Amino acid sequence: MRVDPNPYSDLLAAVSQTQQQINTDEQQIASGQSVNVPSDNPAAAAELVRYADQSSQTDQFQRSIGSVQGEMQNADTTLNSVITALQQAVSLGVEGANGTVNSADRAALATQVEDIQSQLISLGNLAYQGNYVFGGTATQTVPYVLDPTSPSGVTYQGNTGVNTVTLGSNFSLKTNMPGSQLFSASGTDMFKSIQDLINGLTSGVGISAAVTEVGAASSSIDTQRVFYGNGLNQLNAQQTYLSSETTQLSQQQDIAGGANLAVVITNLTNSEVALQATLQTIGQTAHNNLFDYLK
Amino acid sequence: MSSLNASLATALSGLIAEQGAIAVTTNNVANVNTPGYSRQQAILVTSDPVVVDPLTFGTGVTLQSVESIRDPILESQIQQQTQAQGQFSTLTAALQQTQVNFTTSTNDIGTEISNFFASINLLSANPSSLPTRQGVLTAAGNLATSFNSTAGNLTQQQSSLDLSVVQTVSQINTLSQQVAELNGQVSRLQNVGENAGSFIDQRTTAIDQLSALVDVSVIPSENTLTLTTANGAPLVSGQQSFQLQTQSTLTGLHDVYSQGKDITSQITSGQLGGTLEARDQQIPAFQTQLDTLAAGLANAVNTVQDGGFDLNGNPGTNLFTPPPANGVGAAASLSVAITDPALIAASSDGSAGSNGNAEKMYALSSQAIISGQTPTDYYSGIVFNVGNATANALAEQTASTQVLQQLNDQRAAVSGVSLDEEAANLVQYQDAYQASAQVMTAIDNMMNAVVQMATLTG
Repeated sequence: MRVDPNPYSDLLAAVSQTQQQINTDEQQIASGQSVNVPSDNPAAAAELVRYADQSSQTDQFQRSIGSVQGEMQNADTTLNSVITALQQAVSLGVEGANGTVNSADRAALATQVEDIQSQLISLGNLAYQGNYVFGGTATQTVPYVLDPTSPSGVTYQGNTGVNTVTLGSNFSLKTNMPGSQLFSASGTDMFKSIQDLINGLTSGVGISAAVTEVGAASSSIDTQRVFYGNGLNQLNAQQTYLSSETTQLSQQQDIAGGANLAVVITNLTNSEVALQATLQTIGQTAHNNLFDYLK
Repeated sequence: MSSLNASLATALSGLIAEQGAIAVTTNNVANVNTPGYSRQQAILVTSDPVVVDPLTFGTGVTLQSVESIRDPILESQIQQQTQAQGQFSTLTAALQQTQVNFTTSTNDIGTEISNFFASINLLSANPSSLPTRQGVLTAAGNLATSFNSTAGNLTQQQSSLDLSVVQTVSQINTLSQQVAELNGQVSRLQNVGENAGSFIDQRTTAIDQLSALVDVSVIPSENTLTLTTANGAPLVSGQQSFQLQTQSTLTGLHDVYSQGKDITSQITSGQLGGTLEARDQQIPAFQTQLDTLAAGLANAVNTVQDGGFDLNGNPGTNLFTPPPANGVGAAASLSVAITDPALIAASSDGSAGSNGNAEKMYALSSQAIISGQTPTDYYSGIVFNVGNATANALAEQTASTQVLQQLNDQRAAVSGVSLDEEAANLVQYQDAYQASAQVMTAIDNMMNAVVQMATLTG
């Protein structure tokens, strides 16, 4: 059978094909990725878009947790100070309830409790990065102001709003507890109990009852404070979970789009050998024809 | 009985025929590297015998014709495969350019969608923070820019493909004209029974080139041929060529006309077919998907924004300029409608620190708001579609290139000049020539002997 007398076109096609393969391999080695453009593997490219999004959201949850954590830690520490202050008020009340204390001493004690009152107002007005923490979602309004006309001695200007922040694909957390619930709930109203104590110490009537009120308010805050403690614990757990998710995502990304360098380098070596062989073939053969032998 | 003179004439016919055959061989050798050249063969036949009763004597050899060796079926297969190869290589080149826009980078649409929702998530954690709100505006702006530039790149690519439509049509016209002229030369020679081999070779080469550009169908008839597009629009009929025209449409793109009829959608292969497929089908499909995504996202964000309250406690207003109602051009025109970060409606109750509405906006990232898919899933679908279209075109291109290579090998096996063969032929013809020359010498000797005999007897 007659064959194609001119092998060059086939050989050159082989050379260009091998060179293309070499280019692809080199690109994969340089980028470490097997999917450099969507057509390299359309399904994997689409998968990588989704992984990149998940990984970006995971990073974002970590940042948002960091931001929420600061506020909650501040709130928690502040509640600690509130409880200490209330315990001081209890001690002052117990001292005033003693029958041996005269009215002048009681007045002095009342002044001390008034100091505690203003300290509590200032603690209730805790601001973190320009936002009032215990005012519900009215974060730009001072939650507590002195108000002599109010039975509790203060007016709550905040609201009852509670924010829930999404901090994971299946995790969201309530991040604040409004002062209305924490400090001013009816029956355990901290400011009213302090105002009652001041009134008692001033008048000498109902001091013990007021002391009981303050104690109840203190233990209520102590109980509700668990909200922040729990929240902080959950944030820690979520941080740990998110970093393991980041690791897993990067593994999945690698499986979907990473280059298997061992294989790629072997391929590259093979392609280079093939290229050399083809070039040598072009160089050595096909030069001879019958004309060379006719003298 | 035959005479010495007759033998001399017979030997001479050998010399002439072998000389002709050597000329054919020489021509083959000279054209060994000529593209499209089909090797020629000297057809030698015995001359008509003379009858000298009761015997019949041969009168030598005649070089009857010089034939080009070609396989018309193979050639028509090559033309078809060239059309496919032209179509897919053009389509591949176009789509490879398109897919760059959808390759993951620091500012592709997918990344900007993620960044936008990330900024909303941070806003949800700090609803009243101005820097965080500014972050949302910046991310929204980047998202809009990313849509704008991707859509802009696709439109730009469309117009450069359009330019190539116009150029390809003009190349087609030039080649049709060449084929028509060659048709004339071929039929002039063939009408007088001459070998038109080299003109046919040139015409075949021109048709191959034409096949790379458009889906040509070749209808051979006696001594000439007719070319039409696969859908019957005439290109060449005998010695007349029919020019294709391009006409600008309302969209600014050019349609292709034949004899006053719009044939744009009927051209399916060749480079023109590939270019039109990229310009009129593939790229517009991706543009529509981008528009759907941009419009869906902008509308969903605006709806949530309108249902909340800004930092000042006022009802929220659109974050993005509302996209066109039918969505067409949404990606190219997407823009952020507000510049004051306080106007982002994070609050669900009007209080400054509420994040209820920011949460709703963040939730859009995992809601099926774009044709039943989340924004990122929908975008990843576009990436898949672009990648898949490119990979398919590339696979078709590779396949058609390989088939074409094989067909060309087959054509070369039939029609290509083999130097070995030509050398062998040359030796063969040379030997025959020399032998005929020897015969002439022998006859000459005999003639001399006869002449001498005549002298002696005279």
